[in-house]
Amino acid sequence: MTREEIIRQVNAAFVDQFEIAAGQLTEEKKLFDDLGLDSLDIVDLLVALHKTFGIALRNNEEVRKVRTLGEVYDFLEKYAREHPEEIRSVK
Amino acid sequence: MACDSPRVVITGCGVVSALGMTRGELFQRLLAGQSAVRAMPEWELRGATGELLAAPVELPRERLLSLDRKLRRSMAPVAVFAALAAGEAIAESGLAPEELSSGEAGCAIGSTLGSPGAIYETMTLFSQNGLESLPAQQFFKSVSHTAAFNVANVYGMQGVLLAPCSACASGLQAIGVAYDEIRLGRQKVMLAGGADEATPAVAGTFEQLFALAHPRAGQPPETTIRPFDARRCGLACGEGAGIFVLEEREHALHRGAPVLAEIRGYATNASGRQASQSDTEAIERCLRSGLHEAALQPADIHYINAHATGTRQGDAAEAAALRNVFGSQVPVSSLKAQLGHTMGASGAIEMAVVLEMARQGVLLPTANLAAPDEDCAGLDHLRKPRRTSLRYFVKDCFALGGVNAVLVGEVPLPTEA
Repeated sequence: MTREEIIRQVNAAFVDQFEIAAGQLTEEKKLFDDLGLDSLDIVDLLVALHKTFGIALRNNEEVRKVRTLGEVYDFLEKYAREHPEEIRSVK
Repeated sequence: MACDSPRVVITGCGVVSALGMTRGELFQRLLAGQSAVRAMPEWELRGATGELLAAPVELPRERLLSLDRKLRRSMAPVAVFAALAAGEAIAESGLAPEELSSGEAGCAIGSTLGSPGAIYETMTLFSQNGLESLPAQQFFKSVSHTAAFNVANVYGMQGVLLAPCSACASGLQAIGVAYDEIRLGRQKVMLAGGADEATPAVAGTFEQLFALAHPRAGQPPETTIRPFDARRCGLACGEGAGIFVLEEREHALHRGAPVLAEIRGYATNASGRQASQSDTEAIERCLRSGLHEAALQPADIHYINAHATGTRQGDAAEAAALRNVFGSQVPVSSLKAQLGHTMGASGAIEMAVVLEMARQGVLLPTANLAAPDEDCAGLDHLRKPRRTSLRYFVKDCFALGGVNAVLVGEVPLPTEA
């Protein structure tokens, strides 16, 4: 899965789940301070990533360190590289 | 209750219904004979004995999006309906945000069991995927007090929070407990009413009891529900919300709020006998208790808005109780032929229509009542709109579990309002 594909699907989840305009979704944006998410949204982000990519992240320590949208992309890109058999595209 | 207990008035009223988003629109569409009951091909219910009907709310998307996302994410339809109806009620009452958040304003909103749709979704997600696919607020969308606490959060209310869950008596019980909170001096203002969702799971409960109506061959869905009629064959589920602003009368008068009605009496009881069948004796006791608290005689009542859902047993049991208490001289009608049975919302939505009947000076009839059944006879059944003044009214609700609730209201004369 390419980074472009990951960005497309993650952004689609942000637009759908958090009602954020696509134009606002740039890599440097902080999830809490810039995009207005809160801790409950982070739970829903994990649910959305599970739904989109088929990966279970509730017990993943690395994903908890993510602070920006770019870091979400980075995390998923690394995950896809290390666990190609787990991640999938469902859309 | 002591005679010097505060009097309780209604200063605002909002509805979300299958026939309109204001009580004025709802009244006009009912008056025009429109029905929201339609076929539900999108519902699946294995084992159903016929075509499924319901009266769903078609909520405009802009109304849904008018609620902030972070508040909305804990809201299933039942809470959305309640929040939007509450907004209408607050606007009519003219209450300011600081009055709502003062701690002297509370919230009592009932529903059958919270959000049946969200509960079903929760259990499905649990059983299929475990926690990985469970949204953070799925629990909050599901719970029995979801409508009440979400409304409190939307409007910043910090007083008492109550959520009667007594099936189809929930909304009227919520208004009753709100009335008590004010009479006891605990609150100055209460947002009160009921909300509910129509879902296949709830319809299935009625189907299992052979209480769900199915259209006869060649008959349009909107003619299927026939409260009190000889050919009645059951109910159809409806949904929506009705919310009132209840207020201590002096508080309302002091701030110049509109007085739509006064609550004169309230009663609730149980049959103590049977879970699924309405009980004439218990309903009769409840009606008499409500009248006693209102210090009114049966002959004082100008109109009864009946529970009558269209079931064989329930309508007959209610008709017998009404006949025993009121005789044949008080006009009676049910709105469920057109709105379906909005269950936990029914007491509140239908009482909102009663307030509009009083404002318009027109009593609405029971639609589809072609020939009152023998076991529903002996009442002044309204079979077409009747122009008259309305001062004292009775609203009753009965629920699975043997629960009954009765509210007696007074609409002030124009010179008194």
